[in-house]
Amino acid sequence: MQPDVTVQPEVAGRGGVRVLRPESPREAVTMARRFGGTYVAGASWLQPVWERRQSWPSCLVALDPGWPGFRGIDQDEGGLTIGALTTLDELASHPLVHDHLPGLGTLLDQVAGPGVRRLGTVGGNLCAGGDLSALFLALDARLHLVGHHDPKGESLVVWDAADPGVDLIQSVTLPDARPWRIAVDKLGHRERFSPTRATVACVHDGERVRLAVCGEGGPGRLSISEAALNDGHSLSGADRIQILDTELEFRGWQDPTLRLAIQRMVDYLLAEVGHGV
Amino acid sequence: MNDLYRAPEPITFELNGKTVTRSVPAATPLLDLLREDGQCTSVRPGCRIGRCGVCNVLMDGQAMPACLIMAWQLPGRRVETVEGLAGDPDFLKVRQALAEESALQCGYCTPGFALSLVSGLRERRNGNPVDLGEAIAGNLCRCTGYGGLKRAVEKHLSPCPSMSTGAGNSNPIPGEPE
Amino acid sequence: MASDTPGRMVTLGADAPDGGGPSPELYRRIEGRLSYPTDLLDIPGLLQGAILRSEYAHARLLRVDASRARDMPGVHAVVTADDVPGLNRFGIVVRDQPVFCEDRVRYEGDAIAAVAVDTRAQARAALAAVEVAYEPLSLVTDPMTAEQQVPLHEGGNLLAQETFHRGDPEQAFAACAVVVEHDYRTPRQMHAFMETEGGIAIPDDAGGVHFRVGCQSGHRDAEQLADILALAPGQVTVEAMATGGAFGGKDELTVQPAAGILALKTGCPVMIHLDRFESCRAGMKRHPVTARMTTGCDADGRLLAHRVEAVLDTGAYASLGPAVLENFLDHASAPLYRIGAYAVSGRLVYTNNGVCGAFRGFGGNQATFAVESQLDALARELGLCPRELRRINLRSVDEPGSRHQPVRWTAPPVQVLRKAQASSLWSPETVPRGRWLTGTGMAMGAQGNGLGDGLPDAGGGRISLSREGRVRVEFGFSDYGQNIGEAITHSVCAVLGCQGSDVEVMLGHSRGPDSGPTSASRSSVLVHGVLAGMLPRWMEAVRCQAAELTGYPGDDLAHGPGGVFHQGRQVLSYRELAEHGRREAMVADARQDFPVAPGQDHPVGRYLQLQIATVARVMVDRLTGRVRVTDLHHITAAGRVIYPPGYLGQIEGAAVMGLGMTLTEDMPAEEGRLRRDNLDQYLIPTFHDAPTQRVDVLDGTPEDDPFPVRGVGELGIEAVAPAITAAIEAATGVRIRTLPVDPGVLLTAIHVRETAS
Repeated sequence: MQPDVTVQPEVAGRGGVRVLRPESPREAVTMARRFGGTYVAGASWLQPVWERRQSWPSCLVALDPGWPGFRGIDQDEGGLTIGALTTLDELASHPLVHDHLPGLGTLLDQVAGPGVRRLGTVGGNLCAGGDLSALFLALDARLHLVGHHDPKGESLVVWDAADPGVDLIQSVTLPDARPWRIAVDKLGHRERFSPTRATVACVHDGERVRLAVCGEGGPGRLSISEAALNDGHSLSGADRIQILDTELEFRGWQDPTLRLAIQRMVDYLLAEVGHGV
Repeated sequence: MNDLYRAPEPITFELNGKTVTRSVPAATPLLDLLREDGQCTSVRPGCRIGRCGVCNVLMDGQAMPACLIMAWQLPGRRVETVEGLAGDPDFLKVRQALAEESALQCGYCTPGFALSLVSGLRERRNGNPVDLGEAIAGNLCRCTGYGGLKRAVEKHLSPCPSMSTGAGNSNPIPGEPE
Repeated sequence: MASDTPGRMVTLGADAPDGGGPSPELYRRIEGRLSYPTDLLDIPGLLQGAILRSEYAHARLLRVDASRARDMPGVHAVVTADDVPGLNRFGIVVRDQPVFCEDRVRYEGDAIAAVAVDTRAQARAALAAVEVAYEPLSLVTDPMTAEQQVPLHEGGNLLAQETFHRGDPEQAFAACAVVVEHDYRTPRQMHAFMETEGGIAIPDDAGGVHFRVGCQSGHRDAEQLADILALAPGQVTVEAMATGGAFGGKDELTVQPAAGILALKTGCPVMIHLDRFESCRAGMKRHPVTARMTTGCDADGRLLAHRVEAVLDTGAYASLGPAVLENFLDHASAPLYRIGAYAVSGRLVYTNNGVCGAFRGFGGNQATFAVESQLDALARELGLCPRELRRINLRSVDEPGSRHQPVRWTAPPVQVLRKAQASSLWSPETVPRGRWLTGTGMAMGAQGNGLGDGLPDAGGGRISLSREGRVRVEFGFSDYGQNIGEAITHSVCAVLGCQGSDVEVMLGHSRGPDSGPTSASRSSVLVHGVLAGMLPRWMEAVRCQAAELTGYPGDDLAHGPGGVFHQGRQVLSYRELAEHGRREAMVADARQDFPVAPGQDHPVGRYLQLQIATVARVMVDRLTGRVRVTDLHHITAAGRVIYPPGYLGQIEGAAVMGLGMTLTEDMPAEEGRLRRDNLDQYLIPTFHDAPTQRVDVLDGTPEDDPFPVRGVGELGIEAVAPAITAAIEAATGVRIRTLPVDPGVLLTAIHVRETAS
């Protein structure tokens, strides 16, 4: 590799795009750092952004689903580990997913279209704050990042709040959620293939309720509202609504009617997971 | 290596049963590569951002938008378009269903729909009980209001053979004006 | 004329008539073997053209310098306003839109220059190298105040205004027991045809140009293009190819002027194909309408007075705006209902908000949305069932139209209402449970065929025998998916007793017969009339030839499958006739004026009227305010059905387009910029958004009716929006009067009602 390559961040046409093909995940990280490259897997989310801007990264770093641990789904005592380059389509149809997260297939029917789901990956969806974010945040997913050595992985909640930078996700681990009650719902503009207005996920692990959202206001765990639900025994229903509304607004959900919708979705999902019953 | 990657790379893949090699920049969309010189013009641009299904192709048997597939992703892959499906039993079944129900008007989007349906039928053959309505959830049609498509899916392509009207068999191609 | 006796009613299916199989044309389309204009990529020497659009919605153009662009790689030509050989203006009614702007840009899609290059990839760089200096001007963005803003054209920003009067509305309002007044808004809908605007211009050896494009009138385009290119009329030919959808959006010239100029400049064929981003930005849209309607009735529900004040935003150029305004007003005067007195007025204004023009419904469906909503509001005030209020006020077939013109219905309006009332979608409401609220609503609509108001409106056709022995039928209409070719084939087969494979239909060539534009639901009516005029003469001519060749008396010969028959036996095939007969003797043509009311020197409005009643069933998500339309049941009275799959497809397709306009589709403009630029932001219905539909056809036209066939291309969109909002009201108690329905607004209203109860 030539150290004196000048990095030109953006080019005005696809013809000027270089595609680097690293042989290992570590080399991918090195290349991305050195050339200011952008990781690509399915690029189903990135390409519309580039087409719209008519501006492409000068350098793409192609990720290889053949790298060990990057594709496929496994389970062990730690839960379910999903390779970051697993496509959304593979995720939807995997028997382990049916077993662990029976509602995920229905949600995924509403994520993009079938053709795009065959290209788009779990990692790409999380990086874009896509529909999986809310559920994975609520499940306390942990990320295994290339070059990071914590065997438990990095918490998605923490990672999401920081600047992901050039972190390369190898896989995501979800805790064994089979005994838990999980409800998730997407609000779009139309029935299928819609940008997300709000996706709300609600998880009841038997003791506590966890809430997360993604969509127009960005992905995030609603930890203050969770605390109000789990610990705020003296709070009235109106108080909790106020807290949720304030937390959403603080997180960037500017549209009050959308916050109202989220509140009502949360109420409904809480009933589904049996909170307060 | 800089210039090596910038220059067009020869890319080899299988198109409709034939091995083809093209020298194009690595980020060229398959859509442009197929339409070059009017080769596979059934693959048509609708949005160029993967949101309409008009440019669908079968990649290793599964329907995907060709505008989102870049040339560097092609080596070793098998690409099919309707131009290459003349004798394919699933395609003939789909073709008959769409024609019987007049599931098209302008027809610009129709090859994309047909490939989504063929993709779904192939998945069914692999034992996956695909809902064909879901299989075409990513295809947009502006003319028909999807009425004919609903009828085609429900009456002719239903998974339960007893519900089939029998019209879905691969009838011979009707007479063609020259 | 239809009598008050009950008409025949048929539920439409997609089966081909006469038990025949699907047409070969369908197979060609499914197999991708039909080439659309933008698929013509294998033409030798083809160059790619691309257009430079304005960076500003309103600015003075200080300088356009193409010199650097001309030196860019792959560039064969760069053209600007200086390179337009003839008239640098186009427009079907008012030629006010520049091919390339000279000194001023008026919307962000305005064209400034165009390039012809070897590859698409080179086009962007070449366009970027054109140096343009702008001086931004203040924007005209609010149609309500446009007339007080800086004028975009000489004569100010009021392009047209018109008022239809009847009686004395002020006096009539004074006599009303109930008066309702509401404001309505409809969106800037985009056609969103799947094939964006495009085609090729091919220079010939004699200085002329041949166009193969997606358009709606080859003849009219050829006339305009000859003026732009400074060519004699015969030097420009336009082939209106089968195109991937139009819906009005390809009625005006799109890429043709720039492609033609580049073709002449380079001597090479040039293709221009707008990508979706450019199509969204530069292409035609539906006129957004803001209307205040005031409507009053007596205590029994009889409509007495009606007032409409509307503003239509036509954007930067006129296009068909004035005609859209006229049709809006026509529909705003409530063609189906008797109203004693009305004053219906509208203003059409220029703004910097894109360009609006023809779009299926043509202003009429915007008006019907408001009129039907007003009727529901009156019924609510009176405590009357909305269907009953309509029944009281519907016209009978003997009454004149809303503009006091003679009209011709195909069934009594009250029968259409009765059928709608009997729809199974009204069956007992399910008890609201869980998150979904369900409701059923209906609306009616009327629509006239033809350009109307006595505008010149004629069309012709020709029939001949091809060299290969097929019955060749030519019309000037273009095919953008409406199956007109199939309808023609079936009509011809019915008369000749032949098979579909005996007939070839050729459409849309400017060298062929001029049929007038493919718009205003006029094609089917003219096809029927023209065929009726020319088929008997042609059959006679063919029998004459056959008599000469066979020696049988002409009167003993008859047409049948594949040729001419004598006593039930084929004596000559069409192929043999073509080989041995004089083909030039076997030609017939005919021309017909569009039917208007008899005995009128200056016709107003439209004579041939169609009706539809649409019943909608919806589910509203109590949690989010999102609306799902589960069923649409249409009852149409639009004359005889020639080709059932085509008729069904037109109604279903138009209805889902109307559903899109009601629920998700809008192209909002902010500071003159259109805010949606592709299909991930501008959201048209998907398969799963489309409801289950049923189309029942009610037809009371007698066998010998002179105008039994009507055009149904626009009818399906007419009543969808008000039917859906009525159903939403039934489900939630909330009436929405701004389209598309904002789920947030609906949710807030639902929430307020819940909190109050």
